[in-house]
Amino acid sequence: MKYLRVSPYALEKRHMEERREDMKKRITALFAAGILVVGTLAGCGKAKDTDTSAPAPAQTTKDEQSAAPADQKDTQGKKIKIAVLPKMKGENYWDACQVGAEDAAKELKDAGYDVELLYDGPPQDQATNQKQVDLLEGWIAQGVDAVAVGCVDASAISPTLKKAQEKGIKIVTFDSDSEPDARDLFINQASYEGVAKALVENAAAELKEKGYGPENPVNIAIMGQTKTDTNVEAWNSNIQELIKTDEYNWMKLQNPDSDIYYPGADEVETQTQAGTLISRMGEGADKIQCAFGITSMTAPALGSQYEASTNKPPVDKIVLTGVATPNALKSYILNEQNPLKFGVLWNTMDLAIWRCRRRTSWRQEISPQIPRR
Amino acid sequence: MDNSQKKNLKKLMTTEFYLLLFLILVLLFLAVFAKGFYDLSNLMNLLNRFNYVLIAAVGMNMIIITSNIDVSAGALVSVLCIIAASLGKQGLPIGVFLPVTMAAGAVLSMINGLFITKLHIPAIVATLATTQLFQGVLPLAVNGSIYDLPATFTWLAYDAKLFGIFPASTVLMLVVIVTGLLFMKYSKFSKKLYAIGNNKNGARLAGVNVDRTIVIAYTIAGALYGITAVIIGTASQRVTTTMANGKEMTFIAAVVLGGTSTAGGSGKLIGTVIGAFILSLVSPAINYLGISPDWSDAIMGGIIILSVVASAVNIKKKRRISAAPGGR
Amino acid sequence: MKTVKKLKFTFNIALLLILIVIFAAISILNPVFLSPEYLLNVVLRNVVELGLISLPMTLIIITGGIDLSVGNIMVLSAMVGAMAAGRMGSVAGVIVTFLVGLACGLFNGIIIAKVKVPAMVTTLASMFLFLGLTRGMTGGDSVYAFPAAEAVGSKLFLGIPVQIFIYMICAVLFYILLAKSTFGRRLFGIGLNSNATKYCGVDIEKMLIRIYALSGLMCALAALIMIGRFSSLRYDAGTNINLKVITIVVLGGTSILGGTGDLKGTILATLIIGVLNSGLTVLNIPIDTQTIVHGTILIISLIAYEIVNRRTSSKRLKEVKTELLKKTG
Repeated sequence: MKYLRVSPYALEKRHMEERREDMKKRITALFAAGILVVGTLAGCGKAKDTDTSAPAPAQTTKDEQSAAPADQKDTQGKKIKIAVLPKMKGENYWDACQVGAEDAAKELKDAGYDVELLYDGPPQDQATNQKQVDLLEGWIAQGVDAVAVGCVDASAISPTLKKAQEKGIKIVTFDSDSEPDARDLFINQASYEGVAKALVENAAAELKEKGYGPENPVNIAIMGQTKTDTNVEAWNSNIQELIKTDEYNWMKLQNPDSDIYYPGADEVETQTQAGTLISRMGEGADKIQCAFGITSMTAPALGSQYEASTNKPPVDKIVLTGVATPNALKSYILNEQNPLKFGVLWNTMDLAIWRCRRRTSWRQEISPQIPRR
Repeated sequence: MDNSQKKNLKKLMTTEFYLLLFLILVLLFLAVFAKGFYDLSNLMNLLNRFNYVLIAAVGMNMIIITSNIDVSAGALVSVLCIIAASLGKQGLPIGVFLPVTMAAGAVLSMINGLFITKLHIPAIVATLATTQLFQGVLPLAVNGSIYDLPATFTWLAYDAKLFGIFPASTVLMLVVIVTGLLFMKYSKFSKKLYAIGNNKNGARLAGVNVDRTIVIAYTIAGALYGITAVIIGTASQRVTTTMANGKEMTFIAAVVLGGTSTAGGSGKLIGTVIGAFILSLVSPAINYLGISPDWSDAIMGGIIILSVVASAVNIKKKRRISAAPGGR
Repeated sequence: MKTVKKLKFTFNIALLLILIVIFAAISILNPVFLSPEYLLNVVLRNVVELGLISLPMTLIIITGGIDLSVGNIMVLSAMVGAMAAGRMGSVAGVIVTFLVGLACGLFNGIIIAKVKVPAMVTTLASMFLFLGLTRGMTGGDSVYAFPAAEAVGSKLFLGIPVQIFIYMICAVLFYILLAKSTFGRRLFGIGLNSNATKYCGVDIEKMLIRIYALSGLMCALAALIMIGRFSSLRYDAGTNINLKVITIVVLGGTSILGGTGDLKGTILATLIIGVLNSGLTVLNIPIDTQTIVHGTILIISLIAYEIVNRRTSSKRLKEVKTELLKKTG
């Protein structure tokens, strides 16, 4: 038996599972998780909206209401307690989730459901599994009807989730998955391959514009957060897979030890390590030309550390990018002197409908809406 | 003549001297093995980190000299970051939010001092309790974090560069450290600090107002935390509620590494400067050597242990130590 | 001497009252809290690790020392243990876990006792060292539980989680060690006046090394339970434990300056923290407010202790004075 695993899931298995689950998801969603799914889905969907500070698209709301009646019969008249447990509180992305969840609960109330929303999570500096489990156990004891979790540590939270399931509580994971058998439904904002592909594709295009290519290879670096983030790690390994393919094999990860960063949930540590990474960037075989910040903390950190850096690597020689909310990146993208020119985020609508998991690079779509500073 | 030379040499052989020697060796080693480490942009990045660690450590050093400690420093700096950011969000320039943050830091840290002196609660426990208060009140006071901070807020980190090279936080650091060195060397107040650390009752009998001195030490430290908070906070366009939580251990470590004993009454500021520099160096250094920054904590711990053990053995040789074993 | 005994008695009674009040208040506000299943499986079970470590921590603080590295010893021993279990089986895993815990404790103890580096400095440095080692070795990934750890962390015995029995046994043993043995009395001696104790013929260095090693062993035991309970552990799992354990011990009336304290207080404080932790969650009080409640209770108890302490010591001074006056006529 192996007790120390490098990555919780084999990629292949994940591939199969996802397809199978696609079907299962719809069924579970309609019959079992019902309201909750709509609540959380809408929550997360909205979350991104509040980020772009655009009004909620009408279509999201429509979806909620059309899906909601499916469950109306058995839940009518009964108070429904929905608990939402984010990875951490007080961080851009998760704060947005809270706003979304609250909005969704309100809308459900307006639609005639008796819904109570509980929202709590660990503080950012203590984003540990223990805190999540403490909260979960309290909710299990109170007999909430459903819990939506963004898991800090997939395998460590699963025993508690299973315990909740035994009590008849519906478990939905969002953002970062748990062990597949510990939840009823996983809301995958975007396929793992899709995010990685969007990142690599766009970065490659931009690198080519800047004069790199198969005959002029580049070194890349990746900034994750912690190794236990299921989704981030899946993007990470997918990026690494992609740069091995013939199309992108001119992008090289020289030394996984020093070129993949895991600063943890600490904001200052993230900034510091991003600063070190920026100072290692520039032209030449011993420097790094392309950096991916694949979490909502590390991508903006790359942008801001570039601005703060002295003796900046030339903007036309390096590429910065990452996965983050538009709001967190907009000022860097709008700054001509910053090499961070695009970010990747799953499309809000896709998440709300969760059928076609299509990712978009929102470079063109978002920019015009943002007021210049 | 010969004798006095020997004496001079012995005077040189202090903890600070060994630390400096160690630092120089490390820097030479990095020059040979870490390609690109001496790149200007890396050095300036390192300098910025050094600046905020050092400024807070100067305050911590004063507190530790009086044989007290402050484990609430990290939580307090987080609070101050948010205060700075909420002012900066209004578009106020650094000329406004820096002094206000320092004042807020001074007041909040003074509360620590009052707890310790007026209620006679040991420093570690009192600050442990206030840590929880600071950590808890903050997220309630502000809902979540502050985003989209304007250019006037990030001016310090992004645009302000001394001679176009040095981060502007260096100016703050230099002001603090020069004032600090002069202050610790020549002021009457610093003598009181050492006196209290060595023998509290003795100091009291000698006419030192112990309580007031300790409260003032905490207040000054709080103002310095304010500067640290501004440097940390302005580093990006968003300030979260837990920016510096846990950083208190880094500040204390810089002081301890610099040869200041937590038993109080000894230690030089220059040691803290070197200590803070070594600690700021570790993470980028190992990254440039091709090792994951994950190891940086272990290496920091190893360096501190080696340093304190070496200096303890050194002292043991010189004189019988008065501190009891097991005591803090 | 009598007054000192009386003081401890009253302080423990005060703690008990606090516990009862909190318990009653939470039960009234949300009766779910009172269900035996919740009390056993959540309230008590979640606080066992903290409780186990706070036992040796009480001894350490009584000698005037401190250990800031306990949480990190825990995670380090669990990690190395789990890695060993993966290669050589469950039994080896348990042995390695305890060996690593012991080694870490000895490391602290020897530097504190032999090299005479202050305990706070030593354990601060070893905190960074152990944390860094776990982080570096695993690269930030988690390690997974093995059967022996699951046996103590997630199994029931007579319907009650196994670790609660373990905690009860350990608490009794430690109580006997501290209150009824010469070893325990000598610990107080070290805390009150280490030089005097030394000249009474006590080998202080050996004693100190022993209690830090004991602390390391207890951390290893707690680590087994913790990894068994969560089924996996990440490097940062121990970060908050260090100060929490000190909070418990201090809340229990053990003076951080050394020389006074007892285990009954520590055990009561463990229960208070456990009830607060799980109770406030049941009441849906956000974590931030919980932190404030913790801080406030700690401050109140510190002030109360200080007041009680000062009053009794002034009383004693008066007694001594009157006795002296009587003697001198």
